[in-house]
Amino acid sequence: MKKKLNLLFALMGLLLLACEVAPQEIVYGQVNCAHCNMTVSDSRYGAELVSSKGKAFMFDSAECLAAYLIDNPEKKQDAAFVLVTDFAKPNTLIDVKNAAFLQSENLPSPMGLFLTAFADKNTAGQFQQKHKGRLLSWEEAVLAVQNDEKPF
Amino acid sequence: MKNLSRHIVQITTLLLLAGLQVQATTLKVCATCPNTSIRKAIALAKPGDSIVVDGGVYREGTIDIKKPISLIGLNNPVLDGQFKGEILNIRSSYVTVQGFTLKDVEVSYLSDNAAIRVAEASHVKVLNNKIENAFFGIYLQRADSCEVRGNVVHGQATTESGSGNAIHLWYCDDIRVQDNKVSGHRDGIYFEFATNSHIQGNLSQGNLRYGLHFMFSDGNVYMGNTFRQNGAGVAVMYTKNIVMQDNLFEDNWGAAAYGLLLKDISRSVIKNNTFKRNTAGIYLEGSSKLDVQKNNFENNGWAVRLLSNCEQDTFRLNNFVGNTFDVATNGNTVLNYFSGNYWDKYNGYDLNKDKTGDVPYRPVSLYSMLVERVPPSVMFMRSFIVDLMDQVERVLPSFIPERLVDANPSMKRI
Repeated sequence: MKKKLNLLFALMGLLLLACEVAPQEIVYGQVNCAHCNMTVSDSRYGAELVSSKGKAFMFDSAECLAAYLIDNPEKKQDAAFVLVTDFAKPNTLIDVKNAAFLQSENLPSPMGLFLTAFADKNTAGQFQQKHKGRLLSWEEAVLAVQNDEKPF
Repeated sequence: MKNLSRHIVQITTLLLLAGLQVQATTLKVCATCPNTSIRKAIALAKPGDSIVVDGGVYREGTIDIKKPISLIGLNNPVLDGQFKGEILNIRSSYVTVQGFTLKDVEVSYLSDNAAIRVAEASHVKVLNNKIENAFFGIYLQRADSCEVRGNVVHGQATTESGSGNAIHLWYCDDIRVQDNKVSGHRDGIYFEFATNSHIQGNLSQGNLRYGLHFMFSDGNVYMGNTFRQNGAGVAVMYTKNIVMQDNLFEDNWGAAAYGLLLKDISRSVIKNNTFKRNTAGIYLEGSSKLDVQKNNFENNGWAVRLLSNCEQDTFRLNNFVGNTFDVATNGNTVLNYFSGNYWDKYNGYDLNKDKTGDVPYRPVSLYSMLVERVPPSVMFMRSFIVDLMDQVERVLPSFIPERLVDANPSMKRI
C-alpha cells in the first residue's frame, strides 16, 4: 500500500514538473516560427518566448522574436523567458538580458538583419574582431529590428 | 565622312578583339600531361585562357580563381573536397566552370562552405557540373549577370541544421538559374536579396525544408519549374513584383507543408501553375494585389488558404478540382475578389446557357471555418452531419464570409 502511495506521489510530482514554466527545447526542422511561419532550421539562430503560463513560442531568429514582441506588446509583459541561441554553442538557449548581439555584414542571419547572439560580451567581442560590425544589447537589437537597420 | 570614321573604329576594335582571341591559349591538365595540377595550371594561365581538365580525381583543397579564365572538364574529372573547406572559390568576373564533378564539402557551424562559391563577380558561368554531398552547393554572393545552368546538386542531408542550400544567392542581381536539378539539401533554391533574376526549368525535389525559398527578392521571374516532395513545399516572403508561371507544385505533404506559402508578397502574378496533392495549394498571409489566374488546383487538402489580412487579391479563371476544401479563411473580412473560376463542387445551374452558373458559388464551407478555429474537428470530415451543416449554410449563409463569393462560376473546366 505504502509503495503504491509513494508511486502516486512520484507521479503527482512528475505532473507538477510538467506544469512548470520552463524553456523548452527547440526541435529544429519540426517547428514553425511564430512570427514568419518558416520552419525553424538553423540551430545557431533559434529563439524562444515562454509565457507566464508556460506556453512556448519558437522563432527562427532573434529578429523574428524582436519583431513578434514589437507587434504583440502584451506578450512582452506576459513573458517568463525570452531566449536566444548562443551562436558559439548551437542548441544552447540564453536569456536575452545577458546576451550580447553582434551585427556584422559578414554574419548573415536567417531574416536578413545580420543579427547574431552570444552568451556574453567577451565572446561577442572576439567574433567582432574577426567579423567586424557593431555590438548591441538586446534593447538596442530590438530597436534595430524596429527601424530595419542593416549594417550597410 | 562621319560614317567612314565610325567604320574604321569598328574594324579596329574587331581586329583588336581577334588579336586577343589568338593570344588566348589552352592549358591541359590530366594524369599523363606535363601539368597534373589544376592549381598550377591556374597560376600559369593568363586572363582569357582556357584550362581543359581531362578526367582524373583532384584533391587540391580550396582552389581560388582570381582571373578571367575558363575551367573546362572533359571525361568527368572529379574535384574531391575531402571534407576540408570549400572547393572552387571564384573571385573574378568572366569565369566559366563547366563539366566537373565536385564532392564532399565539409559541414561547418561557423562558415557556410560551398562546393562552388562566386563572390563579388559578374558574368560568371557555372555550367553542367555535378555536385555531390556538399554542405552548400553553388553559392553566389554579391554577384551579377551570372548564369547557373544544367547543374545537378545532390546532398545527403538528414537534419536541417546539418545541411545548407543547393543553390544559394545572396545580394545578387540579374542571375539566370536554369535547368538545374537539386535535391537532398535544406532548401533547393534559396534567394535572399536577389533581384531581377530568371529561374526556369529547374527541378527541386526531396529537400528537407523548401524546394524554393526567397526573401526580399524583388522582380524575379519563375517559369516552368517543378517543386516536388519537399519537406515544407515552397516559401516566398517579403517580396514584390514577381511572376510565377507554368510551375508545378506537387506532393508537398505535412502539418506545416505548403505547395506555395506566400507571406507579405505584393503586386505579383501567379499564372498557369499546377498545384497537385499538397496539404495546402497556396497559403496567403499578408499578401496584396496578387493576380492569381488560370491555375489548376487538384486534389489538395486546402486549395487556397487565404488569411483575412490579405487584400486586393484576384482569383480568376482557375480550376478547383478534387480538393477537400476549396478556400478557407480565418475571419469575416474579405477584401479579395473571385470570379469566373471552375469549381467541381458547384451544383448550381445554367439556364441561359452562357456557360456561367446562374447562382453564385461560395467556396468557403462552414466546416472549413470550423476546422480553421478548432483543428481537431477535422476528424468529423465526410460525416453526414457535416455535409448537412454545409448544405444548410450554403442556402442560408450566416457564419461563412458573405462577400467571399464567386458570382460568375464557370460551368466547364477552363
